[in-house]
Amino acid sequence: MIDEEKNNEAASPAAEEVEMTEQTENDAPMSEDEAPKEPENEAPAPEGKPSKKPERKEAFPDPAIEEKNAACVASGDFTGFNDEYEAKKEAAAREEKAKADRDLPADPDALLEVRHLKMYFPLKKSIGGKVSLWLRAVDDISFKLKPGETLGIVGESGCGKTTMGRAILKLYRPTGGQIFFEGKDIAKYKPKEMRPLRTKMQIIFQDPYSSLPPRSTVGGILSEPVKVHKTVPKSEIKKYVLQVMDQCGLRDYYYERYPHEFSGGQRQRICIARALSVKPRLVVCDEPVSALDVSIQAQIINLLRRLQQEMGLTYMFISHDLSVVKHISDRIGVMYLGTMMEFGDKKSIFAHPMHPYTQALFSAVPNPNPDVKMDRIVLKGDIPSPARPPMGCKFHTRCPYAKEICKHVAPVYKEYEEGHFVACHLYPQEEE
Amino acid sequence: MSENETQKPAHGKKNSHYLTGKEIRAIVRSNNKITRALEKKKKRKAKESEFLSEMKNPSNILEIEDLHTYFFTEQGVVKAVNGVSFEIPQGATVGVVGESGCGKSVTSMSIMQLLQGPYGQIYSGAIRFKSYDFKRDQKGKPIPIWETDENGEPVYEPVYEKKGKKVPVWETDAEGNQVLEPVLAKDGTPVLGEDGTPAMQPKQKRDEKGKKLFTVEQVLKLDADGNPVMQPKQKRDEYGTLKFEMEEKTFDIAQMPMREMYRLRGRQIAMIFQEPMTSLNPVFTIGNQLDEVTLLHFPGSTKADAKRRSIEMLNLVGIAMPERVYKSYPHELSGGMRQRVMISMALAGDPRLIIADEPTTALDVTIQAQILDLLRDLKSRINGSILLITHDLGIIAEMADYVVVMYAGRIIERGTVSEIFHHPMHPYTIGLQKSKPTMDADSDSLFNIPGNVPNPIDMPDYCYFRERCSGCIKKCFGDYPEMIQVSPTHFVACHLYDKEKAND
Repeated sequence: MIDEEKNNEAASPAAEEVEMTEQTENDAPMSEDEAPKEPENEAPAPEGKPSKKPERKEAFPDPAIEEKNAACVASGDFTGFNDEYEAKKEAAAREEKAKADRDLPADPDALLEVRHLKMYFPLKKSIGGKVSLWLRAVDDISFKLKPGETLGIVGESGCGKTTMGRAILKLYRPTGGQIFFEGKDIAKYKPKEMRPLRTKMQIIFQDPYSSLPPRSTVGGILSEPVKVHKTVPKSEIKKYVLQVMDQCGLRDYYYERYPHEFSGGQRQRICIARALSVKPRLVVCDEPVSALDVSIQAQIINLLRRLQQEMGLTYMFISHDLSVVKHISDRIGVMYLGTMMEFGDKKSIFAHPMHPYTQALFSAVPNPNPDVKMDRIVLKGDIPSPARPPMGCKFHTRCPYAKEICKHVAPVYKEYEEGHFVACHLYPQEEE
Repeated sequence: MSENETQKPAHGKKNSHYLTGKEIRAIVRSNNKITRALEKKKKRKAKESEFLSEMKNPSNILEIEDLHTYFFTEQGVVKAVNGVSFEIPQGATVGVVGESGCGKSVTSMSIMQLLQGPYGQIYSGAIRFKSYDFKRDQKGKPIPIWETDENGEPVYEPVYEKKGKKVPVWETDAEGNQVLEPVLAKDGTPVLGEDGTPAMQPKQKRDEKGKKLFTVEQVLKLDADGNPVMQPKQKRDEYGTLKFEMEEKTFDIAQMPMREMYRLRGRQIAMIFQEPMTSLNPVFTIGNQLDEVTLLHFPGSTKADAKRRSIEMLNLVGIAMPERVYKSYPHELSGGMRQRVMISMALAGDPRLIIADEPTTALDVTIQAQILDLLRDLKSRINGSILLITHDLGIIAEMADYVVVMYAGRIIERGTVSEIFHHPMHPYTIGLQKSKPTMDADSDSLFNIPGNVPNPIDMPDYCYFRERCSGCIKKCFGDYPEMIQVSPTHFVACHLYDKEKAND
């Protein structure tokens, strides 16, 4: 009896691990038929009733409301502003832009190019299966990442940074948008087509305690990806794995050991070695040092940097710790409630952060110098629910500079300097 | 692999931590002997004189002297806190910093006597705490302070019956006149009065759900002659809680039995835990949990008093709608709000010392900034001291007046915040500061301290940091270094600074 119980206990973490890897291959948390549909703000009319369709279409580009809204924006007086119409208009404009961008060729310089990526999760479904409420975890995000660079993604919890990382790796099935990896759009790839690409894109998870299978040895863990993808002839696997271990600072006699024998830092090294054993080009690091102590953090960060120089890796580094992100990144993206608020070079973002949210984030980091008394921008309130984000600019509820227009009209995500994108009403919005 | 070179190869001693059943049984037997005696001491009935003590420095609020807290496990004794001494001055913030497993949380748990028994025990040492408690008469009842008028005469107030009278609330119009409505029979037809017109009655106010509104009116208690019973009026503090005479005493917490700890815990020493998600009870409302503090620690407070105090406390921590939060359950609040509630709960006992055990680790940066602002603001208001435990040097630099750096159960360096940050002396403190990337400096590669914290069972008798230290000298291969005083407030435990002694 007792033995049985013990076995069950031991098996359960292993089962989790299996589930995780399964998800890696089977992708979608949603069923097939829903995924391709792109949810829009207005409910799509049921197909059986064509008579209703033209009515709705007529209702949408309504010049009367549009004029009134435009007048509101021009005068700065927002009484009688039609928020719903503005939201519809904005969604339509985004749709159009996505459509226009769809046929553009991928940037040949970029290893990864993300265009209008959307990842929605259904929250409420009516009986007919129609989704009435979507959680917009990632909403219309675009960026480019060149090979050998590190992109740091920062944001508070619940801002969608982890979801974005996973959607790019196709661990989720994206709701919309395109992901160009090495010039090919992988967004619509089926799991089977993704298989060969898995050797080129890997992930390092946040918690090294729960992301290693407790039942296999370090050697087993590290040789599994090599065996599955057949990148190394069978007879040389052990030699190859030992070489990878050496690269990641793991001693060769660890080969026969089990994960529970290691401390957090060593486990994270195992996770890194597992990701690197298939020689990927892109590695998504999902908060790889958050669970570690400060002195161990420095070891892991240095290891990641060294490996990047040796193997020419491209990192997408997701973290909520701004000082770590600043240390490791070349480019930085600031996310808030599923949208990119600011994106640009590390230097230009840190030298002059443009978005109020970025400024607040930077000033909130405690400074380990007791003499510096900072003028801290303390944001009021909490991050709103991503299921019902605020109208207009999503940040306006906490923004110290919020104007009347911020509450109604979403700002345009625009390039103000070379490679420095901001979405904020504080800066000129019109196209030049 | 330069970073791993100092690590001992485990070849040959692969099973060094493997114990046979026989060995484990022997360990358990010897452990049980010790823990049983310590448990007995905790459960004894003791007179106050047994744990009364004297402060070495009267301006301190807490003095910890040579504290040893051990965990008696099957694998052996884990010396989680191994000879820790420091003090907290009145009104100061002391930050304890160290990596996980260095004993910083166990120190705070020892102060509260919250160690998981029978395994965790305060083995030896003293924790002297200057308590500021109700003065009690011979029966053990607190002595109230009575309200007096200008002439020093006591003020009397009438006594009310415990049960009030239920009175309906009437609807009034703009001028304050009562609104009348026709009396309706059960079938909805108006009832006619004697003169044939519809009978009218005052209209009662209803809430949004249509329920009739009532208020409870207090009823004077009358004696046999019909005169109201009077009693002397007791003073109340700014939150409306009854006031009692107070006195200062110094207790040695390490000697205190469990039942006496209730006087201090939650009342004079309050704790803010790391995870606001798990430290609030999910099945009770916030109000219920907050009221408990007042009802338990302030004798004579009624439920109404408790509610008033709780709402005041919620107000104090900057919660915008205290009445609504009072009625809600923990899951309805966000992480930052829950931490605010935890802080208000700590404040409700009117504590002299607040232990904040990683109060912002589970929170986002922007929320962390809010909570740190709040803590700083509150400290100046309550004239209390804060023991701040964290692994983030940035938070320490911002909040603390004094810093204690712990490593593997011992203090390796302590001093004022500017001493620790501008002139760190111990190689570990220096390494810790260099290994953290900062926002203003741009460095290519981070300094890293090689290796890991040593195994807590069978610690070596030399300096615990020797294996990871880059500045080892000959002396480091000898005994564990003593605490060396470098300035009136700066102490360091490292052989590197022992040169004068070596030359003598």
